[in-house]
Amino acid sequence: MGKHGWKWLLSAPALFVLVLAASGPLTIVLVYSFLSPGTLGGVSWEFSTEAWFRVFFSRDIFDPEVVTWNTAHLTIFWRSIWLSLQTTFICAVLGFPTAWFVATRSPHNRAFWLFLITIPFWTNLLIRTFAIQELIRNSGTINSLLMWMGAIEEPIQMLYTDFAVLVGMAYVFLPLMVLPLYAAMDKLDFRLVEAGYDLYASRWRVLRHVILPLVKPGFIAGSILVFIPAIGAYVTPRILGGGRTMMMGNLIGLQFGQGQNWPLGAAMSMLLLIIVVGALMMYLRVVNQGGGERRG
Amino acid sequence: MSDRPEIEIAGLGKTFGQGANAFTALQDIDLTIDTGEFFTLLGPSGCGKTTLLRLIAGFEAPTKGSLRIGGEEVAGKGPNERPVNTVFQNYALFPHMTVAQNIGFGLKMLGKPRAEVDKTTKEMLALVRMEAMADRKPSEISGGQQQRVALARALAPRPRVLLLDEPLSALDLKLRKEMQGELKRLQTETGITFVFVTHDQEEALTMSDRIAVMSAGKILQLGSPSEIYHRPSVRFVADFIGETNFLDLPVTAVESGKATVALPGGTQAEASLPDGLTPAVGDTVTTVIRPEQAQVVAPAEADMTGTLESHVFFGTDTYLHLRLPGGEPFTLRRQNTVLADEPEPGTEMPIRLTPGALRILRE
Repeated sequence: MGKHGWKWLLSAPALFVLVLAASGPLTIVLVYSFLSPGTLGGVSWEFSTEAWFRVFFSRDIFDPEVVTWNTAHLTIFWRSIWLSLQTTFICAVLGFPTAWFVATRSPHNRAFWLFLITIPFWTNLLIRTFAIQELIRNSGTINSLLMWMGAIEEPIQMLYTDFAVLVGMAYVFLPLMVLPLYAAMDKLDFRLVEAGYDLYASRWRVLRHVILPLVKPGFIAGSILVFIPAIGAYVTPRILGGGRTMMMGNLIGLQFGQGQNWPLGAAMSMLLLIIVVGALMMYLRVVNQGGGERRG
Repeated sequence: MSDRPEIEIAGLGKTFGQGANAFTALQDIDLTIDTGEFFTLLGPSGCGKTTLLRLIAGFEAPTKGSLRIGGEEVAGKGPNERPVNTVFQNYALFPHMTVAQNIGFGLKMLGKPRAEVDKTTKEMLALVRMEAMADRKPSEISGGQQQRVALARALAPRPRVLLLDEPLSALDLKLRKEMQGELKRLQTETGITFVFVTHDQEEALTMSDRIAVMSAGKILQLGSPSEIYHRPSVRFVADFIGETNFLDLPVTAVESGKATVALPGGTQAEASLPDGLTPAVGDTVTTVIRPEQAQVVAPAEADMTGTLESHVFFGTDTYLHLRLPGGEPFTLRRQNTVLADEPEPGTEMPIRLTPGALRILRE
């Protein structure tokens, strides 16, 4: 074996991961999305674009020629995007002051605050989600407390609403916003903030003209890190949204389970991937623009 | 330069932390800086000079005392409410803005109309000779250029006082010399009061109208560069600035403002006294004299004699390291105006001191 053969061998683990672990399953999903559903789940090896058609459209039960938009699916897609955007926004609004607080502590104390922020990461997602359920359900902590205080007569329906899913996702994904924001702020030269004050800018204007432009990469990275897992979220909408507030992840899960329509599930998975890749490309575009600005 | 006070500081103190961890960075500073003055705070790192600058800028709040700028008490006012701008040590230029945007930032924040911002920015670019770089980002210009932009940015709003925090320390020697001249020129042209912080004694001596030498949170001596150099009043100042010979000598007579001391070997010599110090006859005092204020002379003119131990040739000068009869080391700086042979170690050298150059320290 020649010199190059050795190099090839050394890259084998990386190739294995790339080909088998990443591209492999993706290829299978892509192939499945163009096959026909099997009778009891699985696929039958006949080429068909029906799954892709059914992602967006539905046929009339009595007359297959009558085609209408599949509003149930579209509503879920839209809800997924909208809830993920809202989650991203909430995480950004809550994450900025949090990250700022941590970044302005003494270096010794920062590790402690970062540790506190990452603790939820080490706790099982199910347990955390059930904990939120316990807080917001009709006979849960919040409603009981409000009723005991006499603020409300009837419990407020929070569980199994978009609101519940939003609270859950914002809670789960907040650290993913805080950490890149913190990283950006950690690199921020606080003398620039002082320079801003020194040059007659008020606190708000220093925030707007100096701090925000400089931590923008952190915001963008955080937004991507929150948006991508949020749009594919499964556990949180399943538990906190019940069956009423489904998101794409649940819809896909349904096709592989009760729905027994694997090709449809595969097509939806690919659609989810397309949305994520689209978001990533927007991210890269913004980042490159930032680089271009720097180059003048 | 007028004698109108620009900055009046009285009993100003700053303590960081509390209890056992408390650290007093500044204690009871009293200081008046005149309008249009080039004033330097000189001292080693940790002496409190930067803390004092930050108190004037408003980045830190004093623990006690009062601070007036242009006759107005500024305690409780933020940096954005003070007619003071700062040139930061590492310039702190906004990396996301162009050179022109950086320079115009202060005026924009002051709410000046756009036309005025543009006009002043152009003037400032011309003042620091950076017109060609207006649209570049700070990362695309050199350190010296960044320095000039930082100056222009701080001068653009025409502050009453410009604070400079070791602005030249990041530059190489040649550029630093150039910028020293540039700073002095800008100060003269604009007539703005400059408060300059440095640990570099040469920088302080060449540029300042007055220097405050600081150590351990206190001002040890305040005066013109030549006063500070020729008439140090405490050991720290004499030691920190330039090279010095320290000699402990007995006082033989005292008059107003000066005293007579006995040099090693017995010769009487006059020495000047710091204000308010009156030693008694018979006291031993610490005196200082600069190496260039002693000359090798004919034996008949000598004040004292030293034995040569070693010499170091510097081109324009030669340092002669001598030992006096009592065993004290003494360094003499001989200017090489004539082509003299280098002396042999062990040679006895008759020395004369420049009259009036000997100085008694307050210790």
